[in-house]
Amino acid sequence: MKNPIELAKRFWYGPPHEERRIGELYKDKTGLYKHREWRGFRDTMYYFNKIWCYNYGMMVADIFKYGGVVTFAKGAWRYRWLGQTYLPVLHWFDRGLEGLRGEALKASAWHYRAMTNMTIQQFMAMLKADVNINGGEHNELWKNTVAHKETVWAGVLYPWADRLNHIPMEMIPYFVTCHVNNHTVLNYIDAAQSIGLPGDPCPMCQAEEGLFVLDDMPDYAPIVITSNEACDGSVASTVIQDWYLGDKPLFALPQPMLFDDPLVQENCANDIRELWKFIEDQTGMKPNFDVMNEMLKKQNELQRFEWEKWDVAANSNYYPINGVAQALYRIYYSQYGENEIWHQTDAKVKKILEKCVREKINSYPNTRHRVIAWSCAPLYFSNWCTWAYNCWGLNTIMNMDSLMFDMEIRADGNVDDTLMDMALYHEWAPMRRMAVGGMHHIFELWDYMERFNCDMVMMYDQLQCKGMQGVHGLFEDEFRARNIHAIWMPHALPDKRVVSRSEIRAIVNDYMFTVMQEEPLDPSLLEFDDSQSW
Amino acid sequence: MRDLKHLIFFENLLQEANNDLVKQAKSEGKKALGYTCYFMPEVLLDLEGCFGVRLRAPACTSPDMATYYMSGRTCHYGRSLLERALEGGYNFLDAQMATETCTVTCRFQEHLDRMDIIQNPDFFVSFTDVPFKKTENGIDHFKKQLQAHVLDELNSHYGIDTSDKALEAAIKEHNEVCDLINQIGDYRKLDNPTITGYEFHVIQLVSLVCPKYLILPYLRETAEELKTREPDPTPNFRIRVVLAGSENDDPDFTKLVESCGALVVADRYCYGSIPGREPIEIKDGEKPLEAIARHYLETSCCPRWMMKDEMRERKLRLANICKDYKADGLIVVSNKFCEYWSYERTIDAIILPRDFGVPTCSLEKEYINAATGQLRTRIQAFIESVEIKTIQGGAK
Repeated sequence: MKNPIELAKRFWYGPPHEERRIGELYKDKTGLYKHREWRGFRDTMYYFNKIWCYNYGMMVADIFKYGGVVTFAKGAWRYRWLGQTYLPVLHWFDRGLEGLRGEALKASAWHYRAMTNMTIQQFMAMLKADVNINGGEHNELWKNTVAHKETVWAGVLYPWADRLNHIPMEMIPYFVTCHVNNHTVLNYIDAAQSIGLPGDPCPMCQAEEGLFVLDDMPDYAPIVITSNEACDGSVASTVIQDWYLGDKPLFALPQPMLFDDPLVQENCANDIRELWKFIEDQTGMKPNFDVMNEMLKKQNELQRFEWEKWDVAANSNYYPINGVAQALYRIYYSQYGENEIWHQTDAKVKKILEKCVREKINSYPNTRHRVIAWSCAPLYFSNWCTWAYNCWGLNTIMNMDSLMFDMEIRADGNVDDTLMDMALYHEWAPMRRMAVGGMHHIFELWDYMERFNCDMVMMYDQLQCKGMQGVHGLFEDEFRARNIHAIWMPHALPDKRVVSRSEIRAIVNDYMFTVMQEEPLDPSLLEFDDSQSW
Repeated sequence: MRDLKHLIFFENLLQEANNDLVKQAKSEGKKALGYTCYFMPEVLLDLEGCFGVRLRAPACTSPDMATYYMSGRTCHYGRSLLERALEGGYNFLDAQMATETCTVTCRFQEHLDRMDIIQNPDFFVSFTDVPFKKTENGIDHFKKQLQAHVLDELNSHYGIDTSDKALEAAIKEHNEVCDLINQIGDYRKLDNPTITGYEFHVIQLVSLVCPKYLILPYLRETAEELKTREPDPTPNFRIRVVLAGSENDDPDFTKLVESCGALVVADRYCYGSIPGREPIEIKDGEKPLEAIARHYLETSCCPRWMMKDEMRERKLRLANICKDYKADGLIVVSNKFCEYWSYERTIDAIILPRDFGVPTCSLEKEYINAATGQLRTRIQAFIESVEIKTIQGGAK
């Protein structure tokens, strides 16, 4: 038996990293905990009170705040994706925040809270306007909402931000659900294939299409904006969605492929102008550029703080936000656009960040390798970076999706200038600027490795992404030529059946044992069965 | 039917990209310009002093080196092109006039740009951005792109004359090729056609992969020959079909379809003539480049178009082709891993029978077919199903 001082230390601080044995907490297959992780007294209390209880409470409060429990209940009854993903949300928190301590726990959890709030805002807005659950009525909310593909940056609608709501069609039903409950999306992929689609196109597009095939998409807006982002599959899935959307006016807002060309900028800016004309024609509402500028200024504040975060992440060991929180929060707010919750969250995180820098708090003291994650991540295992740090000390500092919208937008009253910046921002969308766009941007990896002081690459290998598969060999050549340690992580974006979480872990384990000749920090995490886990 | 005089010559021209006519043009000092997609207007590549070659990789059944670079999960066509390039099969090229119109062919062309593959010190790759919408903005953008990334590049690298007069001359020659191909293709509309789908496929392909000025005499002669060609006394096909779909530069596939009893009467696929062989019209007050930009955007039926009306119009257009060519059915084929046509094929297979009453067979194949047995079975079954429908329809 350990001496009382040691026991007291363990009680107060929790066990040291090497003795945590987190894998032994799991119930077989489900990934549920037998009991909660003891993170030390203060962090365990913080997690239970300020994360678990607080977020459960806020999830209920948000439902009331944004539309009421009756609307929510009708939506949960009507739409499979909602019913299946609301309750497991706190398990999603658990997976992403596992093993975190102190300031890292707090900062990362605030990101999760913001995403949860934003998700509830969106699906409640969808449900309130939804014709399907409101007795077939086209209410005022329906009339004043614009639907768009999740890959359209909503900033193009800022000139109507004071009068029109905008809701991405697939962000909640598809994208968020993949992270929270990875079983849900499989149904939609199967539905797409049931009408004759082969299994090899990008499963993201398949799942998005499956929502329409199964009539599991709320009818919440009279007009729709589509896009070609990120790839051929997105363009093609738009075709099928159109057949299911019926006669709704549809505006295609493509992102040009060769976006470095100034001529292309001009074309894209003209497309946005045409979109504005379309919105005006359809709604009878004129654009308000003062509102647009205000929204852009606020969005620029978010970007400036993001740069502060990157600066700390790149140049110190004091960055408190873990890899999964960094990736998901960044892609969520930069794609969705301006919203008050992002500012509230950034204010809280800024305090934590400043404290970490001021007091030189290293939240990841067992870091063996600073990792940059490149290409498109597995949505069903976005928390792999939490696992990789706990198991191997692989600390994911930055990821490709975070780096996409790396710009401010001019909002000084000159609409032409603003439009050119908006065009560029629109084009620098996730999976486009680097994954399926100009090839040389993909190879900016080397610059970012240097900028963020990373010594290892987690190279996502989305097996059904034609753009990234099409440069596989060139990356192999470059990794060898530059003597860079890179682990290829095969996956199929939302479809865990192609490469399971367990297989992904096995691939990382193999590389760390055989190539790096290292031993795990927490061997209990090497192998476990979480095949039935959310 | 009596064999076409030049058919074997044409077939030989399709055996490799650097065929006899390409070699002849090169020896005459012309610059060879590769391209892969309809969106790269071939007429611009056929200006005086250069000629376009739409790239193919015949007989490439195992693209091993390209699979290392592009993995085994990308379109076989794109990989085959890279394989052929790595083998040295495109070293005759002086430039690649590239488009990013589908992901994998774009990646192939980016490899040409990034790796030192083409053994020609003057070789360069120029990418043109192609719009996704047939709007005035799109046409204007495309025109500027063609000026900047095709004409200006050709002029600065190789001193090609890109004046309006030169463009008009190229359009004239191009239109003659189109007229001849259309004349030849129209025989497929006859009740008992005097040309087979295979023969037409070969003729259409040679018009894409050979210098126009060298292939024109053979096309003229073939068109003349067909005027008096007698059909077989009794038709030797069971049904007539339209072949639609993704990239198809393999006449043996058409031969396979026809050997099952389905005469291919129309070719609505990439590398086909519908669209592809519509003459370019210069409207009053229009500059030649404007006319070219407008023509290629307006005639294209690519599933890449994203406007709502165009997405729906495509189905109607396909149904009309079936009607014009008196087809009994439609075979929609996509290459494996082609995302555009995977979706387009799926929706065609639903919409064409349901809304237009066109029996439709949906197939997926590789670029060069090894699995002919399976395909034959599928096609034979389709032919039988159409015949049964005809019999049942007749009984009513």
